[in-house]
Amino acid sequence: MEERELITRVLAGDPSAERALYDAHVDRVFRLVYRMAGDMDKAQDYTQETFIRAFSRLQSFRGDSALSTWLGSIAISVTLNGLRKVRRRNERELDLDAAAPVGHTVREAEPDLKVRLNQAIDDLPDGYRAVFVMHDVEGYTHEEIATSLGVHPGTSKAQLFRARARLREVLADFAKD
Amino acid sequence: MMDDRLDDQLRDAARDYNEPPETPREEMWAAIQAERAGIKEAETTENDLSVLPIRRFRHFRRFTVRPLAWGAGIAALLALGIGLGRLSVHRPRTTPAPVAVAAVAPRVSSTAYHLATTEHLSQSETFLTLFKASVRGQGDERLASATARQLLATNRLLLDSPAASDTRTRLLLQDLELVLAEIAQLSSQPRSRDLQLITEGMEQGGVLSRLRTAVPAGTSATQGAL
Repeated sequence: MEERELITRVLAGDPSAERALYDAHVDRVFRLVYRMAGDMDKAQDYTQETFIRAFSRLQSFRGDSALSTWLGSIAISVTLNGLRKVRRRNERELDLDAAAPVGHTVREAEPDLKVRLNQAIDDLPDGYRAVFVMHDVEGYTHEEIATSLGVHPGTSKAQLFRARARLREVLADFAKD
Repeated sequence: MMDDRLDDQLRDAARDYNEPPETPREEMWAAIQAERAGIKEAETTENDLSVLPIRRFRHFRRFTVRPLAWGAGIAALLALGIGLGRLSVHRPRTTPAPVAVAAVAPRVSSTAYHLATTEHLSQSETFLTLFKASVRGQGDERLASATARQLLATNRLLLDSPAASDTRTRLLLQDLELVLAEIAQLSSQPRSRDLQLITEGMEQGGVLSRLRTAVPAGTSATQGAL
């Protein structure tokens, strides 16, 4: 079924078309959200929120971009907002925990590249991380990323360049080995 | 050379970053359906109450609407009277139990959130009204993107607030976020097609009319003026 026809049927209230739209896009949305959230519960919540918003706003979808790109932009917005909220809550809890510091003297083994890389990606600023995950991990094009994040393709390229540079910097000692 | 090797290692290792499990399709679909059914129900209930003023303005000559409008007016007056009465009654001071303090805190927070939201919605309504008038009159929209960015920041704070529990307000803030983001992204020389798409988007989503409905009368400076 053509995308346009599917949208028209969803707007007309056809439940089977809603399900077809969901089935066609849920894997891609869930993959992206999970990569960003790194947690099953959050990934499910954000994916659900993405589709709830998409169905309620489908009328305003103008068709300037592919439906998958439009869904990606909602998914990334929902995910980044959700993660910001979680981070703020965690910071508040950490402030309380910091009041009673406990000496942590256990020396951990030097993590391997994969573990260090995961940590380094987690530590990237949201914008860089989104571009890095979308491009290098999930294979989105710069045009898709730009539309999803509401930036110019040049900005997406620049952010990817900076994200990679930062990761190289953090993991530089592996290059020396 | 070393950079190239590290880049290759990075790319390989990044593929495993937060490797997603199988998509729990059915579980999420059931949750989406349940949530949407809840939203529809909430909207139906709210619409029954909120369409009255709109109907009154559109069909003010139709007799059948008048009793409803009068009823709503009397109910509002009664509520106001009861509220004022309760506030003005002098009660002897009693030492509040500790549990009462805990019970009051969320209400204060919710009131503060409500006030902040009303103020924000009022400012957004004024801004969008002026923006729309400016587009019609071929005015200078460049300043609009700066204002939209400020409003967008407030909008996101309100959406992220733990007090944002009202479904209707959340949906309005979410739709408003989309419009404000579009205006915020306007370049220094916006194309007329961009402006047209933004105003069309506003109209399709009924954002401005929903803002006017959400903002209490008298809060906005431009309400009904343009």
